[in-house]
Amino acid sequence: MLSTTLILGLVLGGTYALLALGLTLQYGIARIMNLAYGEFTLIAAFLVVASFQHLGVPPLVALPFVTIAGYGFGWLLYQVMMRPLVARSGSSGRLEVDSILATFGLLFLIQGVLLVGFGANFTSISYLDRGIDVLGVSVALNRLIAFAICVLAGGALVVALQKTRWGLIMRAVALTPGSAPLVGIDVNRVARQGFAIGSALAATAGASISMYQTFSATGGVVFTMKALVIVIMGGVGNVPGALAAGLALGLLETFVATAIDPGLTLAATFAIFLLVLLWRPQGLFGART
Amino acid sequence: MLEIRDLTIAYGKHIALDRATLNVAQGTMVAILGANGAGKSSLLGAIGGRVQPTAGEIVYRGQSLLGRPAHLLVEQGIALVPEGRGIFPGLSVLDNLRLGAIAKRAATGANAQMEEVFALFPKLAQRRSQLAGTMSGGEQQMVAIGRALMSKPDLLLLDEPSLGLAPIVVKEVFAALSRIRETGLTILIVEQNARATLELADFAYLMEVGRISGAGPASQIKSDPAVVRAFLGGTLAKTR
Repeated sequence: MLSTTLILGLVLGGTYALLALGLTLQYGIARIMNLAYGEFTLIAAFLVVASFQHLGVPPLVALPFVTIAGYGFGWLLYQVMMRPLVARSGSSGRLEVDSILATFGLLFLIQGVLLVGFGANFTSISYLDRGIDVLGVSVALNRLIAFAICVLAGGALVVALQKTRWGLIMRAVALTPGSAPLVGIDVNRVARQGFAIGSALAATAGASISMYQTFSATGGVVFTMKALVIVIMGGVGNVPGALAAGLALGLLETFVATAIDPGLTLAATFAIFLLVLLWRPQGLFGART
Repeated sequence: MLEIRDLTIAYGKHIALDRATLNVAQGTMVAILGANGAGKSSLLGAIGGRVQPTAGEIVYRGQSLLGRPAHLLVEQGIALVPEGRGIFPGLSVLDNLRLGAIAKRAATGANAQMEEVFALFPKLAQRRSQLAGTMSGGEQQMVAIGRALMSKPDLLLLDEPSLGLAPIVVKEVFAALSRIRETGLTILIVEQNARATLELADFAYLMEVGRISGAGPASQIKSDPAVVRAFLGGTLAKTR
């Protein structure tokens, strides 16, 4: 019983962690709080499902293409929509407010397009959903694959940020953007890259989720909210924190669903969120001031 | 190497710098001396690409620097140590120095350059894994200067390196500057500490309320009675 909760919780948490990574990168590096983030994941999910149903492309084959397209979409969006906001914000905190309002509008724009393109019905596909035995617990293969993608993408990102020259530049911009030009870093370029990588991660998460979860064109806000809760729990801009908080939230939800009542999972999520905001607003895992 | 002609900087109606003209020759150390609010930092900010001048010209090696974004200057060989130092407090000393060598021009021989910086500031070698923000003001200044040197600059711009430091630390910073000076690096320094700066510099410009009020070889400036009264008198250093 306990091992079932633990394993299913970790698998669910893996998806959450992957979902939150992109958001924390977009906010941490590009300083853009992207409220349309869940819609980014939905676009990817719908693309994977549509190419599976109409063209017969297996979701695992579509996934890398969707990830690359997500990068391109984010890059373009930053260049067209975010750049003017960044340019006029200067060094003040105005960008945060402006980007929240702009991406809030973008949310409804994307939602409208998805509704026209794919309708308002719930969508799901059946792909690799046979059970696999993990330490005596049966877990659907598609969920295990989503977990593996999370571990790979999250792990690679953490290592790259800590160990490479590229990661050093990213961390420098995330921590002290004002000093970055002094060493020759083009902050705008780095921010665009951070936003694009965040979009690529959102697309990867969306493609992974589409393999096993039911979703609809209006459900993006749930993804955004969960990612936001995880990001704040982990400490904004803190990549290892987001991974840990994602796993913790998956465990918590699974525990509440099995031990108390499945209807309480969302309530439990936000109860924890409130507690974190009240007692550790800098996040559970260390601070970034 | 660097020529500044009739440079004017205005913030709204307030004119911070009024038609300043000055010259920095290759291999020399030039000082700009003046009290708070004399326009020194505005001048350096304009060269560093952080402040947009209203009029005038800044020419570096025959090319205008106006309108060029700040991050491109490093690649051209100009390193700025701004007032307030501009380090990365949340990163280690080592990471700060590594970032100094991010520019393409500094990519080869970055390790040798790091050894030189450590030889110049042995304290940085001892504290290489400490977060830069947890160090004392003087040590942070060493991080900032060390980081600037990591980009192998041809021109080093220093904005008030002694500001807010204890006298003994100021001595240490100037001792390091003297050693940097011996390598033949071209330096433009803005300072309030006129006495120590004039010991090192070849040439000095004097600034008062946004204007250049005097100029000459450092040895002459040092012994000019008017300068001694206004800039080296000790108590007159703080006018605002």
